[in-house]
Amino acid sequence: MHELSIVEALIEQVQEEVRRAGVEGKIAKLELSIGRLSGVNADSIRFAFDLLSSDTILAESEIVIHESKAVCRCNSCRSETEIDDLLSQCPRCASDDIAIDGGRELLLQSIDVEE
Amino acid sequence: MKIVAAKRILKMNDQLAAELRDKFDKSSVFVVNIVGSPGAGKTTLLEALFAKLQNSIRPAVIEGDIAGSIDAERMEAIGVPVVQINTEGACHLDAAMIASAVQEFDLTKIDLLFIENVGNLVCTAGFDLGEHLRIIVLSTSEGDDKAVKYPAIFQGSDALVITKIDLAPYLNFNPLRIAADMKRLAPNSPIFQVSALKGEGMPAAADWLSARVAEKSNREGVV
Repeated sequence: MHELSIVEALIEQVQEEVRRAGVEGKIAKLELSIGRLSGVNADSIRFAFDLLSSDTILAESEIVIHESKAVCRCNSCRSETEIDDLLSQCPRCASDDIAIDGGRELLLQSIDVEE
Repeated sequence: MKIVAAKRILKMNDQLAAELRDKFDKSSVFVVNIVGSPGAGKTTLLEALFAKLQNSIRPAVIEGDIAGSIDAERMEAIGVPVVQINTEGACHLDAAMIASAVQEFDLTKIDLLFIENVGNLVCTAGFDLGEHLRIIVLSTSEGDDKAVKYPAIFQGSDALVITKIDLAPYLNFNPLRIAADMKRLAPNSPIFQVSALKGEGMPAAADWLSARVAEKSNREGVV
């Protein structure tokens, strides 16, 4: 359940961003981007967020999670394909000479503040 | 008002990890983060590595466990300086824990610091500890499908050590399968097949690691 530590870090980071932007108010919405191969579960993030945000400016914030994909690069047909899960073959030409990139991101994309 | 942040969520951990890496560089300490499941053989691998390296390299260990100090006692028994971190339930180490553990060491007396992470293939993947290398340890008894099931930890690792290779004949473990998955996820990371208890494959793993340490200190010597 490392989502708890991730959400702890997220809440601190949101508070810092809001302070730095010099605005005050409650947070209406947060947008996150979580890679499909990151090992971070979106439902666990939501659960941890409900648990940890209650006494903060994020208490009633909506949380929108975009799941970003990984990229499969094929060394045979030179194609690049976005993928949801790990593959063993290129989805275009079925070659197994592929490399998987990305899909590990864990990003705070934007914060909507109710002023 | 919309604030566009576009920042990594673990930015604070990453910043602290970068500061730690800088401190390790300045003290010429090479740091390796060892990850793997509970029972994969991380501590036994360290014992076998130290038996090979102790004459040429001054090692130290940070042991991360949820509770207890069994692993730290094993390191003390072979004379390796050790600090135990008890995470009290947390499933991974983070950079802040390392920063406080490192204060217990005299870094001028260490060449190679191992951080043995909490046994876990999921949660340890996202937390940079300021290490120079991350090594994933997988035992043959866990099965050859683990890279497909836990891609993040394999994707970010600089080497894979397959332990308990002497048991492979009794298990359904195909080293070619995990090698193919590693080629997709971490094409530049070498794979070592070892039995830490019997010694099989250990020289290659130890030589590779000493070469990485030497490479790093040479590079710093030039700068």
